[in-house]
Amino acid sequence: MSAATLELQDVAVWFGGVHAVDGVTQAVGAGEVVGLIGPNGSGKTTLLDAISGQVRCTRGAVLLDSLDLVDHFPEDRARLGLVRSFQDCRLFPELTVTETLLVSEDARRPAGVLATTLHLPWARKAEHEKRAAVAEVIDAFGLGNFREHRVDELSTGTRRVVDLAAVVLAEPRLLLLDEPTAGIAQREAEAFAPLLLRIHDVTGATIVLVEHDVPLVFSLCTKVVVMETGRVVSAGAPEEVRRDPAAVRAYLGASPEALARSGSLDAGPGSEAARSDEGG
Amino acid sequence: MEITLFSIVQGLVAGLLYGLLALGLVLLYRTTRVLNFAQGQLGVVAAVFLLKLTFDLDIPYWPALVTVLVLAACLGALCELLLRRLFDRPRVIVMVATIGLSQVLFLFTVLPFVAPTSFFAPYPLPFSTTMHVGGGILQPGDVTTLVVAPLVALALALFLRYSPWGLGMRAMAENSDSARLSGVWVKRMSMLAWAIAGLLSAITAILGAPGKASALEEALPPGLLLRALAAALIAGMTSFTIAFVAGIAIGIVEQVVSYNLVGDPNKTSITTFLLFALILVVLVVRVRRLQRGPRGDERSSWGLGGESVKAAIDRTRAWVGRTGVAVTLMIAVLLPTIVTPGRSFLLARVCIFAVIALSLTVLTGWAGQVSLGQFGLVAVGAIVAARLPDTNLVLLLPLGGAVTALIAIIVGLPALRIRGLYLAVTTLGFALFMQVSVLSTPCWTAPVVGGQVCTGLPDPASTLVARPSFFGWDLGSDADFAWFSLGVLLIAVLVVRTWRDRGVARRLIAVRDNETGAAAMGIPVVRTKLLAFALSGFMAGVAGVCLAFALERIKPGDFSVTQSILVLSMVVIGGLGSVEGAVLGALYLVGLPAAVGSTSTVQFITSGFGVLVFLLYLPGGLAELLHRAGDGVAALIEKGRHRDPHPDDEVPPSQLVRPVAVEP
Repeated sequence: MSAATLELQDVAVWFGGVHAVDGVTQAVGAGEVVGLIGPNGSGKTTLLDAISGQVRCTRGAVLLDSLDLVDHFPEDRARLGLVRSFQDCRLFPELTVTETLLVSEDARRPAGVLATTLHLPWARKAEHEKRAAVAEVIDAFGLGNFREHRVDELSTGTRRVVDLAAVVLAEPRLLLLDEPTAGIAQREAEAFAPLLLRIHDVTGATIVLVEHDVPLVFSLCTKVVVMETGRVVSAGAPEEVRRDPAAVRAYLGASPEALARSGSLDAGPGSEAARSDEGG
Repeated sequence: MEITLFSIVQGLVAGLLYGLLALGLVLLYRTTRVLNFAQGQLGVVAAVFLLKLTFDLDIPYWPALVTVLVLAACLGALCELLLRRLFDRPRVIVMVATIGLSQVLFLFTVLPFVAPTSFFAPYPLPFSTTMHVGGGILQPGDVTTLVVAPLVALALALFLRYSPWGLGMRAMAENSDSARLSGVWVKRMSMLAWAIAGLLSAITAILGAPGKASALEEALPPGLLLRALAAALIAGMTSFTIAFVAGIAIGIVEQVVSYNLVGDPNKTSITTFLLFALILVVLVVRVRRLQRGPRGDERSSWGLGGESVKAAIDRTRAWVGRTGVAVTLMIAVLLPTIVTPGRSFLLARVCIFAVIALSLTVLTGWAGQVSLGQFGLVAVGAIVAARLPDTNLVLLLPLGGAVTALIAIIVGLPALRIRGLYLAVTTLGFALFMQVSVLSTPCWTAPVVGGQVCTGLPDPASTLVARPSFFGWDLGSDADFAWFSLGVLLIAVLVVRTWRDRGVARRLIAVRDNETGAAAMGIPVVRTKLLAFALSGFMAGVAGVCLAFALERIKPGDFSVTQSILVLSMVVIGGLGSVEGAVLGALYLVGLPAAVGSTSTVQFITSGFGVLVFLLYLPGGLAELLHRAGDGVAALIEKGRHRDPHPDDEVPPSQLVRPVAVEP
């Protein structure tokens, strides 16, 4: 699967008088890993929702490989290879891990109900293939012990792994991850970085990552975008953003230890600004 | 259109009662987010007891009234205590529980120490003033309603606005968690709300009773409840004023319309159709407002009956399961040769009801769409059978199924916008519409185009549907028809199991559990939802064709809302979402009462108590009991085997683990 490019042209999402996203213009190249950071309520998740279709854009365009997605339903976008995870990571509480992953397979290889009902050979073959693919992914992610567990019996950390397994199964071309380390322990969060890199290697997808763990973002991403009150205040390579006073003021400044951990103590307010692509 | 003052005042009397009921519905919905289908029945107990006190025990009116009202409030509070443990389950589950509650409350009205010796005694009234209005005479009961109902509504408004409890209740309605943190005692408030609702319901029933020949209402009179629901929905389930006024308006419009249709044979058909249309319009217009607020439905568990995990892993357990099914099947096949024709007919009925319950397993158990109108769909299949006599059964069954599937998709269209509780209300309206309007009207003149359209039963009083033959197999005798129904049920079970094991069920459940997540994975949400309706409709239609042939003479009453609710009770008692559960539920609710002697009382005992007990204490239903029994038997066998080890039976531990279901 080839990676897709993503282009946002003046994307805005307004809820009545609230301008959750207010004119974001960004371009993401094929195979890039982009970190999207910003304070709570800055519009990161809403921006992801606009890209994957959970909310409608008030104005602007979302281009996947220069195809405008604005009029596509979320499920149509998913079939184009636009895959996302959710912050709450609910999945489907009543389904087992295997079934959850099978649902992900169903979306890409739909089997006709009539063919299924009549046990027609191709429907049986398709089901076997799906189960084989799912079994493979379950082993790859070390979920063997949870195969027949219902999702609502799992811990948040395991649920996140199941979510990532579903993501890999979906053969993404553009992957949107919404706070994948939220609600899991620090130790598990640290294990997440290599996992994400492997997912990037295996799928070759372009990745947009919303994350509050700043060191993680700066170590993983090829590009960092900082949002505040619905607008992009800073964007660029990690080292540029780290030195950008606008970024520091908007978000990074709020957590000096985080800055220390990401090794940016030398970056003073007077350093060269690297603002670019500010939406308007 | 002629509008007379008298018909308006009569409508006002009826409308005031709808308004009072609607007030109770809104109050409970606002404070506890429960759509209380027992709102009517709650008060009927008190109304009946009042008759007992004054007529049988000769207690003066006023003390008796006070006693009864206090009891009604206590009864309301008691219901809250009972249902409290369900409050964190999905709203539709609580709603189903209130349906069970209303059936149990109905039983109270026939208990010897509550029921009066004669239900036809004149209902007691505080005064006997009559009024002359516009050429008609208002009976004392109507006059009482005109005076008391507005006062009650006013008292409720003042209580909610000025008393500290009223403020607390309003806070709770906005945000239960925050209210609790700010020191509002949520549990006590919700109990108070239920007590007030009980009081309101009792006043409604006592005011409404004098007009009727008998104080004993059918449990859950669907028509009355539907009117109150319509008023509450117009109010967005939030505004007391709008709910009350809307109730009055519905009463007046209804009275004026039926005054103008006097003599028209389709009078009730038309008013019911108007009511159904009103509910649909209100829901579509009001949907945003209604679905605002916390989405409890999406957070909580449905609690499926589920499968025995052990059956999949353990060989002995699997053997026990298979043997159980084989033995049951053998008994069922042999039964018609042994028992009387009447019992054979019962077996056929159980089988057909099991198929209908399976159709609801797909729709409610998997797709999460609660249907209170499944018999409306069954009726479609029955109409197909009645309208196409002498059609080959091989053609008729899929045809009935296909037509019903089409209707089911139309019924399901609102479900794309309307979720959970409100969809249940539309399906309730649909069932009533099918029974009262469609089935009872053989033909009607199409508007605009003209010409006769015949969609109802050819003879609404009683339509004869002769049993056909099936490839030369005469199904005329009850025994033969029982075998035929058994075959239909067997195929239905196999089909539904295939859907469950091979991909259909998991898609439906995925969309039910997390619509956004399923869409993000690429599952087409709209198509999946409609698929659930189509599959369920097909099965209900096939069952409808069979039911028409089973009964041989059908009338609209055979497809009443009560039947729909009975089927819903079946799947709840059997275990929501479970295939075995649907069959067990049908056996329990159709087979058992018939074996004991089928009166409505027995039926309400089995279904009402069944629903409450299973929802409260055993959400897995009969299916879970069956699985536990199977586990127990398997354990016994294992134990016996270990005492007497046999080399062939030793299973290495590695084979006990279920192999991955992948075949090369």
